[in-house]
Amino acid sequence: MYEWPENMQLMRNVVRDFIEKEIVPNLWDLEHGDLPPYDILRKMLKTFGIDSMSRERFRRSIEREEAAARGEVDEERSAGDEGESGIGRDGVAMGMIPIVELSRWCPGMVTAMGVSMGLTGSAIMSKGTLEQKKRWAEEILTLEKVGAWAITEPDSGSDAFGAMKATARRDGDEFVLNGNKTFITNGPYADTIVFICKLDEGNPPDERRVVTFVLDSGMPGLEQSKPMAKMGLHSSPTGELFLNDVRCGVDRLLGGETSLTQTRAAQKEGAKSTFTMERSGVAAMALGIIEQCLQKSLEYAKERKAWGRPIGEYQLIQLKLAKMEVARLNVENLVFRYIEMAMDGRDLSLGEASAMKLYSAQAAVEVAMEAVQLFGGNGYMAEYQVEQLARDSKILQIYGGTDEMQVQHIARDLLSR
Amino acid sequence: MNILVCVKQIPDPAGPQELNNDNTLKREGKLILDESDSYGVEIALQLRDTAGEGEVTLISMSPGEPSGLRTALAMGADKAIHVVDDTLHGADALSTAKVLAAAVQRAGDYTLVIAATESTDGYTGTVPAQLAEILGLPSVTFAKSIRVEGGKVHVDRQTEAGYDVVEADVPAVVTVTAGVVEPRYPSFKGIMAAKKKPLETLAVSDLGLDLSSWGQNIVSVEDAPSRAAGEKIEDDGEAYLKIVEFLEEQKVI
Repeated sequence: MYEWPENMQLMRNVVRDFIEKEIVPNLWDLEHGDLPPYDILRKMLKTFGIDSMSRERFRRSIEREEAAARGEVDEERSAGDEGESGIGRDGVAMGMIPIVELSRWCPGMVTAMGVSMGLTGSAIMSKGTLEQKKRWAEEILTLEKVGAWAITEPDSGSDAFGAMKATARRDGDEFVLNGNKTFITNGPYADTIVFICKLDEGNPPDERRVVTFVLDSGMPGLEQSKPMAKMGLHSSPTGELFLNDVRCGVDRLLGGETSLTQTRAAQKEGAKSTFTMERSGVAAMALGIIEQCLQKSLEYAKERKAWGRPIGEYQLIQLKLAKMEVARLNVENLVFRYIEMAMDGRDLSLGEASAMKLYSAQAAVEVAMEAVQLFGGNGYMAEYQVEQLARDSKILQIYGGTDEMQVQHIARDLLSR
Repeated sequence: MNILVCVKQIPDPAGPQELNNDNTLKREGKLILDESDSYGVEIALQLRDTAGEGEVTLISMSPGEPSGLRTALAMGADKAIHVVDDTLHGADALSTAKVLAAAVQRAGDYTLVIAATESTDGYTGTVPAQLAEILGLPSVTFAKSIRVEGGKVHVDRQTEAGYDVVEADVPAVVTVTAGVVEPRYPSFKGIMAAKKKPLETLAVSDLGLDLSSWGQNIVSVEDAPSRAAGEKIEDDGEAYLKIVEFLEEQKVI
């Protein structure tokens, strides 16, 4: 695959058209105002039938699970062309297109959508009981409800599990949850929160089991902060969560009682697939940012004149454009490689996913900063948009595992061979 | 209700356009669905869905791949007939109408033939009326809404002053004014399904036509005259009066 197939190009064109009509006119309110992204995202999902595809996929998956629980094997369904991921051979490529296109204008919207439908939805789908999936997942996978996935704390980021302070304590048939979470995407607006903490059974913190609960907004003791002020990614509301003796039953313990007997290795395996999904998504975001910066830079280099000549005629500008194009080709190739592997039913290793994220994120930041430089004073002004992409791109090196963590995962993978 | 929609595939108007040596438009690149046809497609889909039965069939004559037709199939049209033939190079409006009419006659029973009022590349605006004449059908133009009831098509026909209420026996040829409906975006599922929808590719000989003597020659192409310079008014604080005066003269206000 060296270019998007024809039907994917059509998808790209229609999504691009939708974004130009529905998002670009609202860009200022999304990026510099208080407009939350969810209604526009919902409109996009509905327009392209992504929500109904998601719903159908969810229902099929539940039917399969129910059939399996009854001891029936549904040959037709399991032998379909959906592959392991359940989203079909074209599903991965199809999923990449809105990510790339939205990232050209609003990487924050991808984050808001991805954390809700991707991270939160798949946490429930991969670890939840059948009842929990039915109760929460469908509405999150279709973005009818906004989901948040809460792991990071004020004193624990990369070392999320080691330094985690949030706890769940048993009290009769119930659990009592306490702790603070921060940098939580969708935190201020989340209807459903996947809350990760440690089970305090009176044992030392580093021996405590990691447990996950599903919480609903408005539960007594749960407070969701207003959006935090941040460097970029303003179309993705980020917040803090404060839990003060939030009481919940075992029905909210993700995976139910059996999750309390899961081995650490099994838990880690689950985390790995989350990391891989997240990291490949970051590469697609980087591609959108790079494509947009290159396109805008090219237009500017042809139009803007200095000493009577378009600045594109000067070699220092040409060098910037050439480096942007190299980055675009590389990141696009990584995204295409990921799609091709998925179509062959192969998963990226954690090392590969990390390498893809590390390179793509760095490339996006470099390209966006160079775009600002190429635009000069105009580049520093919000009107020209490249400054927004420069601020937004920086998060790609931090969330979903910092660059430093990616290096560690790549090196571990290499050295373990 | 079966509806036929004549659609055109054209070079992307957003891109640079070039002419061949014979002064015809270059159509080698990827062709897109003419935006002005998307309204007719949308109306046809709505009529079909309201009727709860029938098919929307696209009819098109153009060189190259059916990329524009796929867009309309992805929107929800059921099938397409695509006439592709090198001998049609440079065909004029009447030849085009003859080809489309022959294709319409192969398409089975239908209630309506819908077309745009004019294409974005040719702008002759004559093909639908010619088509109706060849087919011996009533021709209703500039529709802003279409309803089929009791063996008749009821059309609100746009005029400069407002609209006329027109009715005609079906089948009829109806042209749809651009902008009267919001054409739907193709859904992702629709795009995937479009690949598998029936698309019949025909040559002129399949239609039993001989167009060898119908060609036209474009003798020369001239640039449109450049606009004459406007009137410059220095603002002495009262220039707005001149603007008001001008707008009044133009009967805008």
